[in-house]
Amino acid sequence: MIRFERRLRQPGWLSVAVPVGSVIVAFGLMTLVLLATGHSPGHTFSRLLDTGFGSKVAINETFVSATPLLFTGLCAAVAFRMQLFNIGGEGQLYAGAILGAAAGIALGNHSGWLSVPAMIVAGAVGGAALALVPAILRAFLSTNEIITSLMLNYVAALVINYLIFDSQSYWRDTSSPTAKVFPQGKNLPEAANWPLAHVGGLYLPFGLLLGVVLAAVIWVLYTRTRFGFEVQVIGDSPRAATYAGMRTRRKILAVMALSGAVAGIGGASQDGDFRHTLDPRGLTAAGYGYAGIVIAALGRYNPFAVCLIAFLLGGLQNAGFALQGVDFPSGLVGVMQGLILFCALGGELLVRYRVRLGSRGAQRAEATA
Amino acid sequence: MPSAVELRDITKRFPGVVANDGVRFEAAEGEVHALLGENGAGKSTLSNILTGLYRPDEGEIVLWGEPVSFASPRDALDAGIGMVHQHFRLVPPFTVAENVILGDHRGEGKKFMVHPRRIERNVAELGKRYRIAVDPRARIWQLSLGEQQRVEILKALYRQARILILDEPTAVLTPQEAESLFETLRVMADEGRTVIFISHKLHEVKAVADRVTVLRDGRTIDTVDTGSATPRSLAALMVGREVSLAERVERDGEIGAPVLEVRGLWAHGDRGGDALRGVDLQVRTGEIVAIAGVAGNGQRELAETITGMRAAADGQVVVDGRPLRGGDAREAIRAGIAHVPEDRLHTGVAPSLSIASNVVLKSYRGKQVTRGPLLRLRAIRDHAASLIRRYDVRGGGPELPARQLSGGNLQKVVLAREFHGDPRVLVVASPTRGLDVAAIETVHRYLRDAASSGVGVLLISEDLDEILALADRVAVIYEGAIVGEVDAGATTVEEIGLLMAGGAG
Amino acid sequence: MLVAAGGINNAVLVVVLASAVVYGTPLLYAALGELLAERAGVLNLGVEGMMLVGAVMGFWAVQRTGSLLLAIGVAAVAGGAMALIHAFLVVTLRANQIVSGLALTIFAGAAGLSSYLGNDLNLADQPAKHAFSPFLPRSWRTADVVGPVLLNQSALVYASWVCVALVAVYLSRTRPGLNLRAVGESPAAADAMGINVVAYRYVHTVVGGAFAGVGGACFSLAITPQWVDGLTSGAGWIAIALVIFAFWRPTLCLVGAYFFGAFSGIPFTFQARGILSGVPPELFQSLPYVMTVVVLVLVSSAGARRRLGAPASLGTPYVREER
Repeated sequence: MIRFERRLRQPGWLSVAVPVGSVIVAFGLMTLVLLATGHSPGHTFSRLLDTGFGSKVAINETFVSATPLLFTGLCAAVAFRMQLFNIGGEGQLYAGAILGAAAGIALGNHSGWLSVPAMIVAGAVGGAALALVPAILRAFLSTNEIITSLMLNYVAALVINYLIFDSQSYWRDTSSPTAKVFPQGKNLPEAANWPLAHVGGLYLPFGLLLGVVLAAVIWVLYTRTRFGFEVQVIGDSPRAATYAGMRTRRKILAVMALSGAVAGIGGASQDGDFRHTLDPRGLTAAGYGYAGIVIAALGRYNPFAVCLIAFLLGGLQNAGFALQGVDFPSGLVGVMQGLILFCALGGELLVRYRVRLGSRGAQRAEATA
Repeated sequence: MPSAVELRDITKRFPGVVANDGVRFEAAEGEVHALLGENGAGKSTLSNILTGLYRPDEGEIVLWGEPVSFASPRDALDAGIGMVHQHFRLVPPFTVAENVILGDHRGEGKKFMVHPRRIERNVAELGKRYRIAVDPRARIWQLSLGEQQRVEILKALYRQARILILDEPTAVLTPQEAESLFETLRVMADEGRTVIFISHKLHEVKAVADRVTVLRDGRTIDTVDTGSATPRSLAALMVGREVSLAERVERDGEIGAPVLEVRGLWAHGDRGGDALRGVDLQVRTGEIVAIAGVAGNGQRELAETITGMRAAADGQVVVDGRPLRGGDAREAIRAGIAHVPEDRLHTGVAPSLSIASNVVLKSYRGKQVTRGPLLRLRAIRDHAASLIRRYDVRGGGPELPARQLSGGNLQKVVLAREFHGDPRVLVVASPTRGLDVAAIETVHRYLRDAASSGVGVLLISEDLDEILALADRVAVIYEGAIVGEVDAGATTVEEIGLLMAGGAG
Repeated sequence: MLVAAGGINNAVLVVVLASAVVYGTPLLYAALGELLAERAGVLNLGVEGMMLVGAVMGFWAVQRTGSLLLAIGVAAVAGGAMALIHAFLVVTLRANQIVSGLALTIFAGAAGLSSYLGNDLNLADQPAKHAFSPFLPRSWRTADVVGPVLLNQSALVYASWVCVALVAVYLSRTRPGLNLRAVGESPAAADAMGINVVAYRYVHTVVGGAFAGVGGACFSLAITPQWVDGLTSGAGWIAIALVIFAFWRPTLCLVGAYFFGAFSGIPFTFQARGILSGVPPELFQSLPYVMTVVVLVLVSSAGARRRLGAPASLGTPYVREER
């Protein structure tokens, strides 16, 4: 018989050992899945490691994949901390991409360096605006934010498709002859291309650096300020927050807006760092928002852990894209992410409880009976 | 008389505590046997072992001479053990009849289909046979706590319990209702059943039980005949030293001008409907006013409305002559209303946060602990450490999560925080529920000190002994209205009890 | 406009109603399953993933064996197996139900196991060998209004009605149903009366997953009928919302499922007939999602404060031995 005993003290080393252990166990389970479906795990994993982290080129590609994950991971972590389950990071990223691209196009090449901050602000506004819909519904009508934020992902995906494929919108390229046949977004002007830092053979996208800075800001905000204190209390016990006179509704709006803004900046970074156009297919195919939930949960909502895990899962995603084919079926990345998350959830139990096999006392009592 | 149940050297450990440490207990057929002990003495653990909810780490259970081992509550039920838990185990949206037949798997219970009409008839008949009147079609949430308790007893009878355990059954009853419960228990014992009556109230034990087994710190201290025991001797056994039984202590300090006035207060309950119906109250500086009443008559709503956690539907709360807007806890805190809530673990503190964080739960915006928007974590920690020293909080330092404190120490943290804000008014709800005698004495001393220093104290409690020991005036609440007010020095338990049951009647 | 050339059965309203039943059926199965799990106190947000795995495995089974009945069985088992993971995590390991359900959707969903299996079993682009289709006599199926709406439907539709009735009777009139409701409302009370809370939660979560698997199979075996990555496109989430609209009652699930089925069918109907062709198709496609939000708001502002009908223990693990 397995029994669980609540731990009186949670040893610090567990908070590192559990995520690491979960990844290892998840790889073990993945091995079983691969074997069961007739693939060679050794081959698959070694190619995965090579393509994700094996060389400077691989790491540069991983940075590209990790950047949006960093933003959506922070987006989820910020909200989940307060038990607000914003799973609309996906849609908020699209919204940020739409407004970010609009800002970039509107400013053209005349405003010089101003384009980049303008795109960041526009992206943040887009993401926050979309996140405020479930936030307002939750705060004032106590509507479940999980379902509303998720439904808006589908709506946002339809909007972004509409802008490029089914309309003559501001974002759509209508000048070139090919664009008339194959709809695509306008190319952003030069000034809207975000800078790329070059350090020892590695190329660091501006968005990645911005994300790390944001992570630090969020950490300070959540651990060192009055705002963060209120978020902690509300997340732990809403009744205690009401009791202490905290304004829970305002906090719901603020946290959701912040969460959406972070995802929105991630969308703007897609425009400015990588795609240089509004690219519905690329954005909607990637599933950045959902991966962000995995990252936040694995990082136990700690912003710095999110940075690290975004990088690791970025490598996985990068390898997934690069290797897609016979010995690396599509869907493998999602299966991996799901397994890692399952293991982390199970591992969480080890942090809170001590697992005991059998019960000495009871057995002795039965033996004498 | 033959022994019906015997527990031999039962030991049960939880992480960090030995709840039962070699407990011995024996009760005969046809007797009412009291299990007496302080909160935390191990009574509830023992009854949970006897009902199959917990498995003992060591020791054995013997029923009518046969050793038994319960793998689940179902085994205990089938062996003839029924229990009325302190917090009722009823399903609120179900009817009385559905609750009574729940989990039955013998006889009628073997049938796959449930026929509401038939089970209602069966339950009505059962009620008639034992003169326990409840409407089998009523939903549990519509019933008073006293009626719910009768449903719990019916459940045990329906399952043909020969041993009935009641955990603190009088906590939800008026003194008169308690009397009639005692009569029912006597009838059941006369039929040859065994009644195990768990309590920490000495006069009840004297009134109903044939024998008493006293538990302390998880151990059996003694089993005595009730006839030969006195409340004083039982108290000494229970606490392990001579104690002064809760008696009135005269306080220093003067009673002054009204500091809290409640005028015609109405408020809605959680399920809709009016939980408060025009409450009028007045508390003066230096005075302790108690609100007595059976649980669920609007006490929680009253505390919440005064402290701004709940919006009033009508009426006013006035502090120092200034009316509050209401429905805003921050405003109430600023006006000087301190609040020790009933649910200290989930309302009084944020349980996963540290003691330090919880100590500044209401003052985190203050100048002492902030620099601009930033918190001065060092200052917060130092402040917590000094309060921990001053209020003698034991169990850990400022960084310890609040949930890991014992009930008494947790209450000290709450009191420390609330007193530290220099309140004008202190609203305390069930401040000693679940605490041991030493902690109760400490809490009572703090409350008296607060009143002596000029704070107006509103004490909301279901424990009449506590009320009579502390209060200057007692207001009795019934169905959301104050039905009477008496001078605590010149009243009796019976007088208050009658008011608790609805006043004049 | 209402009565077009093809008689009343070609009228827009009738066609929309018929498509409401078609598109509502997968929602109905999934919602019934989620309802069972939630009645036991287990919130399973992995419906979308369970539906997709049910869809892909059901399609695989029909391609391999040619038997539709067997395919439904395989879909149910596949959905149940996914739910078992969730049950193990939240019941035995006491994991957070919300995060675990999201994990299940990511694991099994459009970019996870369902896609992996579809890819690995080479199911994409295969034409279906068999599909559920209307089977009643032709004269019935062409009857006015009721013909296209109710009689020109596949066996999956009629089976779903039976399931609604069975679940409704099970909940209100049987002893296990009574026990189930007790477990969801007050696990401590159920436990004290000797009901095995863990077993009830496991069984109903897994059966709920099986229903979701069948719901997914409605797409791959009847509506589409083929395998495409992510072919449920959010139906699982709508099903979860549906349980809330239905106040956790099976019969109201039926009404709600057809209501949302109508919105899911409208884009196809309108496009096929060129109705309102000037309006961008995305507007119609967004209807089911927008309507879900709208109805959810209406329901929650009406009664969310009192959590109308929601099982009281929904989302919380039950731990007996804890101090």
